[in-house]
Amino acid sequence: MENVPEIIKEEKKKLFKNFNYDKSYKILFFIPFVILLISLIYLGVFYSKNGDIIYKDVSLSGGTSITLNGEIDQSQIEISLKEKFPDVSFTRLEDITTGKQIALMIESSASPDELKAGVEDVIGYHLNEEDFSIEFTGASLSNDFYRQLILALIISFVLMSIVIFVMFKTFIPSTAVIFAIFADIAIPLALIDIMGIKISAAGIAAFLMLVGYSVDTDILLTSRALKSREEPLNTRIFKAFKTGSFMTITALAAVLPAFFIVTGLPDSFRQIFLILAIGLFADLINTWLTNAGIIKWYCKRKGIQ
Amino acid sequence: MKIGIRVWILIIVLSLSLLAISPWKTFKEGALIKSVEINSSAFDQGLRQGQIITSIDGKAVRSFEDFSKLISDKNYSSENLKTIVSTDQGEFILFSDKPPEITVSDIPSSNIKTGLDLSGGSRALVKAQDKELTSSEVSDLIDIVSNRLNVYGIADVQISSISDLEGNNFMMVEIAGATTTDLKDMLSSQGKFEAKIGNQTVFIGGEKDIASVSRGGQEAYVECPSSFSGFCDFKFSITLSPEAAQKHADITRNIPINASNPEYLSQSLDLYVDDNLQTTLLIGKDLQGRVTTQVSISGSEKGDTKDEAYKAAQNEMKKLQTILITGSLPYKIEIVKMDTISPSLGESFTKNIIYLGLIVFFIISIILFVKYRKIKITLSVILTMFSEAFITLGIAALISWNLDAPSIAGIIAGMGTGINDQIVIIDESISNKQISLKERIKKALFIIVGAFFTIVVAMLPLFWVGAGMLKGFALTTIIGVSAGILITRPAFAEIIRRISE
Repeated sequence: MENVPEIIKEEKKKLFKNFNYDKSYKILFFIPFVILLISLIYLGVFYSKNGDIIYKDVSLSGGTSITLNGEIDQSQIEISLKEKFPDVSFTRLEDITTGKQIALMIESSASPDELKAGVEDVIGYHLNEEDFSIEFTGASLSNDFYRQLILALIISFVLMSIVIFVMFKTFIPSTAVIFAIFADIAIPLALIDIMGIKISAAGIAAFLMLVGYSVDTDILLTSRALKSREEPLNTRIFKAFKTGSFMTITALAAVLPAFFIVTGLPDSFRQIFLILAIGLFADLINTWLTNAGIIKWYCKRKGIQ
Repeated sequence: MKIGIRVWILIIVLSLSLLAISPWKTFKEGALIKSVEINSSAFDQGLRQGQIITSIDGKAVRSFEDFSKLISDKNYSSENLKTIVSTDQGEFILFSDKPPEITVSDIPSSNIKTGLDLSGGSRALVKAQDKELTSSEVSDLIDIVSNRLNVYGIADVQISSISDLEGNNFMMVEIAGATTTDLKDMLSSQGKFEAKIGNQTVFIGGEKDIASVSRGGQEAYVECPSSFSGFCDFKFSITLSPEAAQKHADITRNIPINASNPEYLSQSLDLYVDDNLQTTLLIGKDLQGRVTTQVSISGSEKGDTKDEAYKAAQNEMKKLQTILITGSLPYKIEIVKMDTISPSLGESFTKNIIYLGLIVFFIISIILFVKYRKIKITLSVILTMFSEAFITLGIAALISWNLDAPSIAGIIAGMGTGINDQIVIIDESISNKQISLKERIKKALFIIVGAFFTIVVAMLPLFWVGAGMLKGFALTTIIGVSAGILITRPAFAEIIRRISE
């Protein structure tokens, strides 16, 4: 039994020996490229169907969200509420230690007075301040908000690109980094749409954060590949991969619990972490397949060993 | 082990953060006065927002619970009861048939302030209907609304001006903690000044009825009697529009002279602010049926000292003048966002966030230990991560930033990038021994500085987006990564150098 791990290690070594990065990098490069292409096509189709590239929650589309404290049974009120408010949706919030429901969130585009009255009707008692929270965003404000967030995303992207160009001062490696970050945003966006999640204002901020999160590994790769010469190129890329993937794994460990373990958190809060988590997975392939592929090809062309 | 300058800087900044957060406030006993109803007996006796109640009638108050128990035990009814309230700013004696008109809470356990979504309360984001407000118009609106809120007797409220990426200006009104006042009603039913005789309205606030309001000189003044008796008087004159003056004449024409006080008419002119009777003015008999445009408005305010009474009278005069000048709010306002968060939900959110923080620390410690198999390295990464979060909290406490859910997400996200950078430093310093350690750490710093600038520029636009709702996220992220690059990472690089040497 004791030498089993040794065998696995040997197997692993063999695998890496047989793995020829010089041959396979072009194929590897195309995997994320195809995923990106599918994502973009999906987003295009989504846009033509829904008139937008995301499902917006009430903070971006205007409307009311009511959070009822305590154990409220969703199934009991769902049907009658749907009659009055066809667009109503529900989210359960749970306590982390006991798993007990702490609140139920109800969202609709209705006005706060209407929705509150409707909910009171269905649950059969008058809500007072201790029982519930209510958040309302007017349609005009949420439209402004959404437009500005998209603008912020574009500004961030442009500023970030400038920083990357200033850092590396060469066109192709810089473009490769920027391309990888673009893919880091586009792929999670398509996935979130497929999952049918309504994005909140905080969720869009998470996409901005993603820019900052994913750029570390790209910079690590590019600077290791271009700025040192002590080891062969493949070794440098592989070592960068070892460091970078570990970075991404710890980052995932920091963001995943907020989504899977601690569910009794404000929805806006959880969404930030979900988007970061998906983005970090996307970043693994975009950095180490796409960006690494472009860098490898660039170095070969420039004769960097 | 010798401690280098970079580690010393870290230690100093951590101590300053601790000082800013002041967690030892937890041990302070008493109950904090959050607001005092204006013009109540509690207010008149000198109880003020921010004072800490230490005992009631000589019985110690250690917490909010003690306070509410002692007050409910007193059984206020129709009889006037004596209540001795001892605070950190002296003792106050109240005689009243009602409990003190104050709201009280536990003393906050530290200087860290939590936002509305975590502590509960109401906020409204307001703009003018069908009109783009300039920032000076918003500050006018804020002045009027603050003034009006004072009339309402609501003290624990914050009003600020907010502008967004596209240059729209808003007014934000926030009421912290639990409140029974419906913010919405308060904002939309604002600013009614009425002068009535009986139930007939003679004139109302605003330029239609009021041609001018004197605000200084002979026509508007505060005076205290030479032998001070606790009161100072104010008096100012207003000029009615011809229509309002005519109305005054028409109404007074039919009012008989007061039989018991023949200098005056039998009905008085009552001034109401938002339906509360503010002042009653006797109408001189020679004004009966006359078209008069000059009306003088007077009143008196009391204070413990001549200075206080003078100030109170002056404020009251200013308040009335503002309402008379502005009438109802200058713009028809629209509430574009309105949130009321129940404090109990906020409490469970806070609890869950603390759990989340612990879980994240735990998982990351395990991962790091599995990878590096070195207690020293794992501990120093964890310590650095903790330092960054702690410094961010310290700065937030220092600038009195209200930590809302996005702000806390920013702190955690910032910790994530912090770990990334530390992994770069570790890997650069333990691998590739052909070049000097100094050179390797320099390389690590290139990557870290690059990542720092990209994250900062990525977050910057968020400061101005959507009326600042996500400002907290951008702010804590930027503070976190800046603390990281300036303070903790240099210290961490030094620690790692010492460990690997």
